Amino acid sequence: MRYVVAGYAFILIVLAVYAVQLVWRRRRLAQAVARVAGPVMAPVATDPAAGTVTEVAP
Amino acid sequence: MTDNSTTTTVAEAFGPGPAAHPPTTVATNTGVTPSPVQSPRSRMVERTIGILALVGTIATVWLGIWVTPPDKVQGDLVRLVYIHPGVAWVALYLAFGLAAVSSLLYLWPRTRSLFWDRLAAAAVEVGVVFNVCTLVSGSIWGRPTWGVWWAWDARLTSTAVLLVLFLGYLALRRVPAEPEVRARRSAFVALFAAVDIPIIHFSVNWWNTLHQGATVLNPNLSAKIHGSMAWTLLLGFVALTLVFVWMLLVRFRIGVLEDWLGANELDLALAERQSEGTGPLDGSAADRVGAA
Repeated sequence: MRYVVAGYAFILIVLAVYAVQLVWRRRRLAQAVARVAGPVMAPVATDPAAGTVTEVAP
Repeated sequence: MTDNSTTTTVAEAFGPGPAAHPPTTVATNTGVTPSPVQSPRSRMVERTIGILALVGTIATVWLGIWVTPPDKVQGDLVRLVYIHPGVAWVALYLAFGLAAVSSLLYLWPRTRSLFWDRLAAAAVEVGVVFNVCTLVSGSIWGRPTWGVWWAWDARLTSTAVLLVLFLGYLALRRVPAEPEVRARRSAFVALFAAVDIPIIHFSVNWWNTLHQGATVLNPNLSAKIHGSMAWTLLLGFVALTLVFVWMLLVRFRIGVLEDWLGANELDLALAERQSEGTGPLDGSAADRVGAA
């Protein structure tokens, strides 16, 4: 049974670590885009779902 | 090369790329493309798939370890069947298969778009993680059944070769180049590597191997697993497929953001210079920024 537990544990840990790393990478990049785009763009955004224009935080 | 409109419907689930995305910011006259903000709908789809993947995986582990009966021959070791073939299915067929198809669509002149290149890159990265899981979980299963951690068996060796080939693909993508050049050379490598996929699939039929034949997708298409064991196996495939789709969506998004930052780096540097009041942006100013 220890081989079964080892097999499941390895797969689940690797997938969980990779998933967390993906989310962290995406968040870091999204922050970088917001930081870089902020100074050269007007602080106005359209909401595609509502079709409205809203102010966005710098 | 820019993304063309033919990919926007496919891209809906992924959240469209920079060029296809509706403008979410009003750019000044700097040449900077609108920032790639993810739409609420795409975020909701991604979140739903993530929750389903998590629930499915937990259910598979619960059924696989505590509910299903042990096997007559393998005993408790059979419980690895609910997860090992699932990760292999994702790595070999879904991820690398998708990478091959996307690469082909990129190379095909009528469908050429960086969308396909990003999709291939995302699929390969996720596929490599699943491929490592396949090899290691297979090795853990092989030790008590075959008596060895590793054998230079046709199935095992061809799977390891595929991992090396796609690691090479990821390394190649890190070589600095224009996006189009990188996309073209990566697509050729992906197609070359994908030749190994049918070899892996048919290796258990073509050669005498330690690895068992297919339990469900065998030449006679007669499933050799039944009842709760079969349902748990199926659930494992579905859950791991959902995990793959969720990871693919997030990784694709990372590619969009990376490309946006890469494409706008120089424009942003020039715009910052302009806003600092260092004078008109003539050729020499641009040279100075480039040299910096």
